[in-house]
Amino acid sequence: MPSDTNSSSSSLSSDSEFHSQNSNQDLNPNLNPDSIDLSLDAIENQLVSISMSSHPETAPFDLEEDQSEPTEQLTTMIAQMNGEIGEEVVVDEIEEEEEDKSTMKAETSRLFKESSSEVWRNNSEEEEAMSPSSSGYAGERGSSGDAATVGNEIDDDDDDDAEDEIDEAWNYGVSESQEQWAPQKRNLDEDDTSISWRKRKKHFFILSHSGKPIYSRYGDEHKLAGFSATLQAIISFVENGYIACSSSFVIISSFCFPIRLYICLLHCFLFRGDRVKLVRAGKHQVVFLVKGPIYLVCISCTEEPYESLRGQLELLYGQMILILTKSVNRCFEKDPKFDMTHLLGGTDVVFSSLIHSFSWNPSTFLHAYTCLPLAYATRQAAGLILQDTADSGVLFAILMCRHKVISLVSAQKASLHPDDVLLLSNFVMSSESFRTSESFSPICLPRYNPMAFLYAYVHYFNVDTYLLLLTTSSDAFFHLKDCRIRIESVLLKSNVLSEVQRSMVDGGMRVEDLSIEPASIMGTMSSHLGQAGPAADSPGRIREAFFGIGGPAGLWHFMYRSINLDQYVSSEFSSPINSLRQQKRLYRAYQKFFSSMHDKGNGPHKTQFRRDENYVLLCWVTEEFELYAAFDPLAEKALAIKTCNRVRQWVKAVENDIFLLGASPFSW
Amino acid sequence: MANMGHNNLNAKLVLLGDMGAGKSSLVIRFVKGQFLEFQESTIGAAFFSQTVAVNNATVKFEIWDTAGQERYHSLAPMYYRGAAAAIIVYDISSTDSFARAKKWVQELQKQGNPNMVMALAGNKADLEDKRKVTAEEARVYAEENGLFFVETSAKTAVNVNEIFYEIAKRLPRAQPTQNPAGMVLVDRPAEGSRTASCCS
Repeated sequence: MPSDTNSSSSSLSSDSEFHSQNSNQDLNPNLNPDSIDLSLDAIENQLVSISMSSHPETAPFDLEEDQSEPTEQLTTMIAQMNGEIGEEVVVDEIEEEEEDKSTMKAETSRLFKESSSEVWRNNSEEEEAMSPSSSGYAGERGSSGDAATVGNEIDDDDDDDAEDEIDEAWNYGVSESQEQWAPQKRNLDEDDTSISWRKRKKHFFILSHSGKPIYSRYGDEHKLAGFSATLQAIISFVENGYIACSSSFVIISSFCFPIRLYICLLHCFLFRGDRVKLVRAGKHQVVFLVKGPIYLVCISCTEEPYESLRGQLELLYGQMILILTKSVNRCFEKDPKFDMTHLLGGTDVVFSSLIHSFSWNPSTFLHAYTCLPLAYATRQAAGLILQDTADSGVLFAILMCRHKVISLVSAQKASLHPDDVLLLSNFVMSSESFRTSESFSPICLPRYNPMAFLYAYVHYFNVDTYLLLLTTSSDAFFHLKDCRIRIESVLLKSNVLSEVQRSMVDGGMRVEDLSIEPASIMGTMSSHLGQAGPAADSPGRIREAFFGIGGPAGLWHFMYRSINLDQYVSSEFSSPINSLRQQKRLYRAYQKFFSSMHDKGNGPHKTQFRRDENYVLLCWVTEEFELYAAFDPLAEKALAIKTCNRVRQWVKAVENDIFLLGASPFSW
Repeated sequence: MANMGHNNLNAKLVLLGDMGAGKSSLVIRFVKGQFLEFQESTIGAAFFSQTVAVNNATVKFEIWDTAGQERYHSLAPMYYRGAAAAIIVYDISSTDSFARAKKWVQELQKQGNPNMVMALAGNKADLEDKRKVTAEEARVYAEENGLFFVETSAKTAVNVNEIFYEIAKRLPRAQPTQNPAGMVLVDRPAEGSRTASCCS
């Protein structure tokens, strides 16, 4: 395929450009397709070293900045953590154990000591040694039985669990099934003493700065008050600069978690007012996000990168803002002990559905939205009628099908951030009440204006397709209702709604339809996104070599994000990424890839090629787009690169149908 | 505000009450004849319309089913402003919800349209064994405050249509002789409301 190798500058060409631009992470520039076998080891070694450098496994914390000397120092100290030091600290503090827990919220440093004394254990090696008798608090909960098995972390149960979830979501999000994913608040009977709660792989908490629980993914928030107080203590301690000038650290062996949380209080020189953002504890990492009086915490052992988890916390916060606006902070100014759970009544389902989407919706880490594939003219027709309403005083008019955008327009000078689209659609889709009737509800778009409510008119045309009209006027309901009636009649007349249904049946781009023959790409487009013509049907040599699984050159899946449009498109899942577990795993791999591509510390990469036992992953970033592709683990690099070029051309060829162009609110 | 043209009356009706009292269930039973055991929380307010025929006239209810959550409380005036009728709903198995209902009544008496037809609905009447609020207690309260009271069950459909019909019957008599202080939510013809009082 000569057209590939000497293609334009933005094309990948296997030998010259296709290696990491960052010299430190250079992926063996000498590599050429003929010597792949020889150089595989080298690549893998490189990759190992990359991952080592970006996520220091030796140190159970993340150093944001310079990691030269203090790292060593700390590393050695941490190496001792499993041993005597933990004991010493505990011994120092053990006298305070019996202190009344009610004073916990009195003073931060004191609070920290107390709560930590409750949680410190005498011997960190002794996983099951959580003796309730040594702590008034634990004794109160009387849960020594549970504690005994804590040592054996079970990773699978949550995975299975999560798979159930994703299963349901998949029905909801993609398949034909009209079955709702009804993310009921699960496991309300759990609290921090339950084994099942402790074994959950990924916890999310929202709490107030006074330690009042606001939201917990698992279990009843109110039962988790003690745990919340502990988290609050940890955060306050760190926030309030109790990190003295000497490098000191404290070990918290959490009484309410199956792990020991190593809170490493670092050299203040390292942080300089910056905050401890990540704590690693064995397999677990704890990520904090402080937003004024609201603290968000994620504790997970899913190996997701820090940036992803932090991004997820940001979205969680955004979701809360969407419901309440940022002016909720004022409640805390009036009363620091304000209990926010009442304000969020009935919204558990919104948060759990968002958290759930972290494992299936790439919008959550790509910060881009995706469109339902539609013929250009059809989308245009929808856009025109929406534009009409936008001209009549509607700020944003959005027509969506599940989490995919059909069309959206905004009044002049207003622009809608992809994260807002995500949060808005999550809010609408997870709240059953919107389906019963037309609704008019205050909502806030955190990226548009976190301080003010807009009013959203929501109406479902059918089970999947819904219209959102956003306005600043609280009196506009009947006007919006009239707009909707007009929009509905136009959509029906111009067959947009039936086209939408058809598109849902047809699905999006499929890797099997990718032609490796350059000629066909210029050929006429079929009615659907597949590349019509014989080329698509004639199995190329490559495809045969890969047992007919996936697309050409062992291509299994891809995602393409257009940077200018803030939109992405991803291929439909197909064999062998069939199971939901595999899909989730692939998303996690993409996510990791995404954050390594955007890792400021390592400098921006242009391309990356990674091979592990599951996939070959390839990423290619230009100013225009980002392309992520997953291949068979045995895929040849040169072919994979060529295939990525084909994907890019394919996306370009069908961009009118898969993206919302022109009417983009970002262009004006 | 209720608007009367010929024999047709448009009446804005708002449902208020604690979360979980059964406002949405009542409306859905009335409008769609359905009942869901696990009705999800309403977000903001849902809008329904349903027409009933009473005394040679039809009343088209424009119903605002508001969310009971605290966060929406401050937005309630947006929905009850200009309403011709209100149903304040409580759950007979919850004294808290009854207390909350009383607060809504107070608020409406202070802020709402003085001619508003107000009904008090003790919902979940099928849960007799869990009853916490006696019918007598509620009736006395309703009489003191000039409310029309009935116990309903959205689940068994007892008294659901009846409460709406009763409101429809009372509406025309409740028409103000003067233009009320309440605002009309949208640009509906305001003249109609003034002429409406004669027909009842």
